[in-house]
Amino acid sequence: MRYQRPGLDIASHLLLAVGCGLFFLPVWLAFAASTHSMSELSGHVAPLWVGDTGLANYARLIEDPVNSLGTNVLKLLANSLVMALGIAVGKIAISLLAAYAIVFFRFPLRRLCFWLIFITLMLPVEVRIVPTYQVAADLHLLDSYPGLILPLIASATATFLLRQFYLTIPPELVEAARIDGAGPWRFLRDILLPLSKTNIAALFVIMFLYGWNQYLWPLLVTTDADYMTVVVSLKRLLTTGDSPVPWQDVTATAMLAMGPPVLVILLMQRYFVKGLVDSEK
Amino acid sequence: MATLQLSALEKRYPNGFTALHGIDLAVEDGELVVIVGPSGCGKSTLLRTLAGLESITAGELAINARRVNDLEPAERDIAMVFQNYALYPHMSVYDNMAYGLKNRGVAKADIRRRVNATAELLDLGALLDRRPRQLSGGQRQRVAMGRAIVREPQVFLFDEPLSNLDAKLRVQMRLEIRRLQKRLGVTAVYVTHDQTEAMTLADRLVVMNAGRVEQCGTPMALYDRPATRFVAGFIGSPAMNFLPVTVRGERLELPDGGELDLATGLDDGAELTLGVRPEHLTTLPDGAAMPASAVALDTRVELIEPLGADTLAYTRLAGLDEPVVARLDGEHAVAEGQTLRLVLTGERLHLFDAEGQRLAERRCAVDVVS
Ligand SMILES: Nc1ncnc2c1ncn2[C@@H]1O[C@H](COP(=O)(O)OP(=O)(O)OP(=O)(O)O)[C@@H](O)[C@H]1O
Ligand SMILES: [Mg+2]
Repeated sequence: MRYQRPGLDIASHLLLAVGCGLFFLPVWLAFAASTHSMSELSGHVAPLWVGDTGLANYARLIEDPVNSLGTNVLKLLANSLVMALGIAVGKIAISLLAAYAIVFFRFPLRRLCFWLIFITLMLPVEVRIVPTYQVAADLHLLDSYPGLILPLIASATATFLLRQFYLTIPPELVEAARIDGAGPWRFLRDILLPLSKTNIAALFVIMFLYGWNQYLWPLLVTTDADYMTVVVSLKRLLTTGDSPVPWQDVTATAMLAMGPPVLVILLMQRYFVKGLVDSEK
Repeated sequence: MATLQLSALEKRYPNGFTALHGIDLAVEDGELVVIVGPSGCGKSTLLRTLAGLESITAGELAINARRVNDLEPAERDIAMVFQNYALYPHMSVYDNMAYGLKNRGVAKADIRRRVNATAELLDLGALLDRRPRQLSGGQRQRVAMGRAIVREPQVFLFDEPLSNLDAKLRVQMRLEIRRLQKRLGVTAVYVTHDQTEAMTLADRLVVMNAGRVEQCGTPMALYDRPATRFVAGFIGSPAMNFLPVTVRGERLELPDGGELDLATGLDDGAELTLGVRPEHLTTLPDGAAMPASAVALDTRVELIEPLGADTLAYTRLAGLDEPVVARLDGEHAVAEGQTLRLVLTGERLHLFDAEGQRLAERRCAVDVVS
């Protein structure tokens, strides 16, 4: 529904602008701070305009190991990327297959399987963190990429979402494919995957952000700086003991940490729209 | 190219419901068999067991004398057209038709040739790049047909393929299906609950009821000599009128007390059902004498339905709850509420016993159909 009234139009645009401004302000403050030198920042209020240190802060963070972290930010970003991609891709792959099995195959205890998956919704990482840590330790997964990824890789949410989508696929479509000689794998690849493109794109964005923003688990499972993620490092940068907080490093790292998620959203958004236009739904 | 044999085919669903109670049917090469029956009688179930989409509980299914009970749908060399078409929504028309061939490992060039030839046949050439949602209902239907044809299967299976189309398009597609099936010479089984579709398409008509075959024969044979009261009531529109009658020696006593000369050889007092189609009830022109052995039914007209060429008169007969329907000439002027004298001649009558079975010839003199 659209209301055609000029006054309303102006008002709503104004409201939008104010909202955007409010959301953008902290980001801008962080960016402004990240371009100042340490001495300029200490003891002052947060600057509103960019400083003259400019991108030197960023170059330093990316190239040289940060003292308090023992590694450079590029490595941190890479670690985060590996973890977030691993979690997103893994979650989608597993959920896709789990939902496929639950919806399209008849096997004993199918119901039970579904409910078991469903129940795990009530058990997020935080609740089961001690036993999960124990298992990870026993499997020698501490300080490793699999250790970062595997415990977070199963997703009841994604399984459930895909199941709901699969249930809307008319049974005749499945039967037509069977008559056309498509076995289970072909059906998955040629029909189900293209049809769930949009859902997968949406899930990927959500799961990537979920993985990227993980804090507690990576904090616990890694002690080696080689496996530290950028989100964990932000907190680490702030704990400096008696010496002043290097705000320019904190803000610059935060700016860098925002990059990949923003990029994923922008890229996927285009794909999203394409998927929406292409598919039948 | 292909024959189809069903012997004592039985289907029980996992929930214990038996949808097919032993179906025997032989479909000859190039024949189009139409299956009709009321909703829930097992038409779709039968078709789906033929296709291999449902397992067979007992009995045999053979295509070209080869037992196919345990083969996958793709291995049976059949093609099916679904009621809702079931086109792959994300594929172009071309890919929809090519998909089955691709899966069978047909060479690319061959696929192209066959799809193009089929598209030509169905007048789909200009639509090959479109997605299903960019097509009209009739075009989708043709693509679904194309997907079946392009595979060059042994048997076509149709499950109410035209029921989503409007009346005019249905007539057009009906003719087209008939034309294509004859031209390609493919054996086909066609499920419908549309009377006209069934009568016009069928080489042979199978009437099903509650998981059993009631009767099987050419459409005209079923129309002229329905084997059971059920078939008699099912084939023909509007449905046949049924009058309860009692045997009185050489005559039959009608509900309104009139008597019809008709020797059945049955004992006095036997209860029968007399069936007469609306189109076989006539009116007597003014002043004309009553034909010999005919009996008049004095009825009151309750409702008329002018159809143009014909007018249907729903009339009430004394001693009968259901209306007696007569198909009168469109020119015939009748008004609701008037009395109407219908003539029941000794011809084209159908007699059924208490179990609904048609009375055997030797016991029923009227069975000589003109
Ligand atoms: N999967 C199933 N499990 C149990 N019973 C079923 C199943 N599918 C169909 N039935 C039952 O089998 C009977 C026959 O169903 P079928 O779909 O073959 O009817 P139909 O003749 O095609 O009817 P319609 O004209 O309405 O399409 C029905 O009583 C139905 O309830
Ligand atoms: Mg049906």
